[in-house]
Amino acid sequence: MHRRSWLVAVFLFLSLMPVSAQTGGKKRRALPYEFGRVTISTYSERASMSPVVFDHWFHRSMFSCRVCHVDVGFAMKPGASNIKAADNAKGYFCGACHNGRMISEGRTVFAACSKTAKEEDVARCDRCHSSGKPVVMEHDFNQFAKSMPRERFGNGIDWQRAEELGLIHPSDFVPGLSIKRKNLRVENDFSLNAKVAGMPDIIFSHRKHTAWNGCELCHPEIFVGVKKGATKYSMATIFEGNSCGACHTTVAFPLTDCQRCHMKAVQP
Amino acid sequence: MTARAFFCASLLISLCAPPIAHAGNLVRQESSAQESGKQEAWQQEFDAVCSKTTDAMSLSIDELKSLIQRCDTLEPKIEKLDDTRRKVYLRRLKQCRGLYAYVLESKNNDKK
Repeated sequence: MHRRSWLVAVFLFLSLMPVSAQTGGKKRRALPYEFGRVTISTYSERASMSPVVFDHWFHRSMFSCRVCHVDVGFAMKPGASNIKAADNAKGYFCGACHNGRMISEGRTVFAACSKTAKEEDVARCDRCHSSGKPVVMEHDFNQFAKSMPRERFGNGIDWQRAEELGLIHPSDFVPGLSIKRKNLRVENDFSLNAKVAGMPDIIFSHRKHTAWNGCELCHPEIFVGVKKGATKYSMATIFEGNSCGACHTTVAFPLTDCQRCHMKAVQP
Repeated sequence: MTARAFFCASLLISLCAPPIAHAGNLVRQESSAQESGKQEAWQQEFDAVCSKTTDAMSLSIDELKSLIQRCDTLEPKIEKLDDTRRKVYLRRLKQCRGLYAYVLESKNNDKK
């Protein structure tokens, strides 16, 4: 009896070990080319396809955040858009641009999912459904990053500076989905008090944020409160992916780059 | 005469060239998402209502209320669309209605 319970204890320990290994421990920091990468497997595996690996860096170099997350309709969290192959085939989501007809930088953008995929289409399918496959990406991150202004964290690219220097030209319009609108009136920048003594206050730049996001991407989905100071923010909730953390933990420069936000000089 | 012909040819080329997207380098070969060509009534209304998000802050309280009302009228029409368009346009409608409601609340707070 004693031996049996010992065996059960060993079995339990061994069976729970992989779980604790997955949940505990320090999370590995994403490498520059991986930062922002999204793996989408909402329906792929059910259809015996590899999950989609989406390289955010490549798409953000060509499009504003707003055009994809408002006009095309991609949700801000992976899998939340509930994208099906049929949606792409109809010309929505990935299929809004990946339709085999759109031309970008002088080249035809390859088509996403089609209703009648044949054997010869496998290589094209693998361009997106590439998780776990030795697919060589057409666009090389390191090659791209060479000509971009450097940044310490995230992708290692200062995207804002890259646009200012005219190295990237993010489009804010997708034919067939975007609406022609007036130019956006930019609201004033404002400061937010840091809660830790000695920490410089935050300067929030509306200009920087609205240029790529518009208004409706952030308000009210990410920033709910109307009155300044009414909603309490903390670094703990931001690190959990709320408010600023919706982008600054995943795709925009990460929270470890403190002085990009906490930039107001401390008064003596 | 040659200069005139050159001018006419240039004008013709520029008129016939495919329209280039606003800021980027995407070129429209043919409409992808709206292959049916003619816009349906709900879509026209959607475009009209949600095209004002860029100047939401300069709209009056009455204008904002009217836009919110139009969004609410549009919602059941979008609910009846096929699964794909319903997913895309309900999210978009929610975002633009949400913004108008947000700005309206902000303006009402300022009045107090």
